[in-house]
Amino acid sequence: MEKAIEITNLSKLYENGRGIEDINLDIYKGDIFGFLGPNGAGKTTAMKVMTGLIRPDRGDIRIMGHSITEDYEKAMAEVGCLIEIAQSYPFLTAFENLKQLSRYYPNVDQKRIDEVLELTGMLKYKQEKPKKFSLGMKQRLGLAAAILSRPKILILDEPLNGLDVEGMIDIRNLIKHLAENEGTTFLISSHLIHDVELTCTRIGVIYNGKMLNVDSTQNILNSYASLENYFVSEVERNGHV
Amino acid sequence: MDMFKAALFNEIEKLYKKKKVMAAVWISLAIIVIGQLIIVGMRSGFGLRGVGSAEFPMLVLSVAVNTILPLFTALVAIDCFSGEFSHDIMRMTLTRPVSRLKIFTAKVVAVAAFIVANLLILLIISTLAGLLFNVNSADFSTLGKTIVSYIVSLIPLMVLTLGIVLLANIFKSGISVFFVSILVFLALKALGLFFSQYSSLLVTSQLDWYNLWMANSFPLAKIGRELMIMLGYAIMLFTGGYYLFDKKEF
Repeated sequence: MEKAIEITNLSKLYENGRGIEDINLDIYKGDIFGFLGPNGAGKTTAMKVMTGLIRPDRGDIRIMGHSITEDYEKAMAEVGCLIEIAQSYPFLTAFENLKQLSRYYPNVDQKRIDEVLELTGMLKYKQEKPKKFSLGMKQRLGLAAAILSRPKILILDEPLNGLDVEGMIDIRNLIKHLAENEGTTFLISSHLIHDVELTCTRIGVIYNGKMLNVDSTQNILNSYASLENYFVSEVERNGHV
Repeated sequence: MDMFKAALFNEIEKLYKKKKVMAAVWISLAIIVIGQLIIVGMRSGFGLRGVGSAEFPMLVLSVAVNTILPLFTALVAIDCFSGEFSHDIMRMTLTRPVSRLKIFTAKVVAVAAFIVANLLILLIISTLAGLLFNVNSADFSTLGKTIVSYIVSLIPLMVLTLGIVLLANIFKSGISVFFVSILVFLALKALGLFFSQYSSLLVTSQLDWYNLWMANSFPLAKIGRELMIMLGYAIMLFTGGYYLFDKKEF
C-alpha cells in the first residue's frame, strides 16, 4: 500500500517535559486513522508538527513523499487540517473567510465555497461574521475550510469539539462520505473512544508522548469487547496505569 | 509567486475590511481639514499669512510624518502580526501551502501599501485643500518636489514598520508592542536631541529626511549615505523579524 504520511523518529519536547518522543508511524492512502489518547498524551503536538505549526526537535514527516521541514508548500498542497478549536477572522463573513483561503488553491471557485458551506450545514450563515457564531458553528466553518481544496489528506484534531449530537453525526457521515467517494485519507485525533471506534479503520494509541501500538479497528474488535478495553489493556501493558 | 500574490491579496483585503484602517484614513483627512481651517482662521482673524497653497502639503507632511503616520503604521503593523498571533488566527494561513517567508513578506508589503495609500491621500487632499483655500497663492512650481518628498518618506516609515514588526515577534501582547514602540520612538527622539551630531543615524531623525530632497543644492552624498543607513536597518530588521516569525510556535 502507498504511504500518505510517513513519520520517522519524531520528537518534540516542551520545556515542561511534555510532548512526543520517538514516534514512528505510516498512514496509508485511504486510511481513516484514529489517534487515540487521553488529554495531554501528545496528539495535538504530533498534529501541529505534521502541519508545520511547530518544528520537531528530531525526526521528519513526509506527506505524499514531501518533507514537511524541507518542502513545506508541496507537502501541504494536498492537505486540509483543523487543529484544536477552529479559528477564523471575526471581521470577515463566513464566505469571505473561505474566499481568503481559496486563493491558495487554483481549483477552488465560488461554487466550491458554497458547496463546502452546504456540506457542513453553514450555507445559511454564509454572510454572517463568525464573531457571532457558537463554538459548534465555528467548528463547522473550520471543517469547511479544511475540506475546501478537496484535499487528499485531512488532519483533524478533535473535530467534534463543541458539536451537538446532530453535528457529531453529520461530521462522522461527512468523513465516511469523503473516505468512500473521494478516497480521502484521514488522520483524526480524539479522546472520545466511542467516536474513534465508529469512524476509524486503523487506530494508534498514544500515551505520555509515546506511540504504544497501531492496529486495525477490525483486528482490535475481534480481540477485545470494545475499543475502551483495548485502550486500557494497551496502557496497562506498557505499565502506565 | 502565485502563493505570494494570494497571501498579499489576502493581507490587503484584511486591512481594507478592518475598521481601524478606515478610521486611520478618516482621521488623516480630518487633520488636513482642521489644519487648513486653523490657517484660514489665523489669516482672517489675526491677519497672519500662515502658509500658501504650495507650502500646505509640506506642512501637513512635516506634522504627519512625526505623528499620525508612525502611529497608524504602528497600529496596522501590530494588528497584522500580534492581532493574528492572539486567538491563534494565524494558524488559518500557516496551514496552507504557503511558506512562512511568503506570509511574512506579504504582511510587510501590505503595511507598506497602507503607508503608500495614507501618504497618497495626504498628498492629494492637502494639495487640493491648499489650492481651494489659497486660490490667490496658487503655485505649481514646487509640486514636483512635494511629490518627491511624499514618496521618499515611505523609506524611513518602512524602517519604522520593520522595527515594530520585530517587536511584534518578540512580545506576546499587541498592547506591549504598542507601548514599547512608543517608548523606543520617544527615546530615539530624545537621543536625537541630546546627541544631535549622531542624529542622522536614528530612524526618528530620518523621518525628516525628505527635507534633503527639497534643498536647492542637491546633497547627493548625504542622501546616499542616509539611504544606505536606512537600507541597512531595513535588512537587519527584516531578517530579525523573519527569523523570529519562522521560529514561532503556534
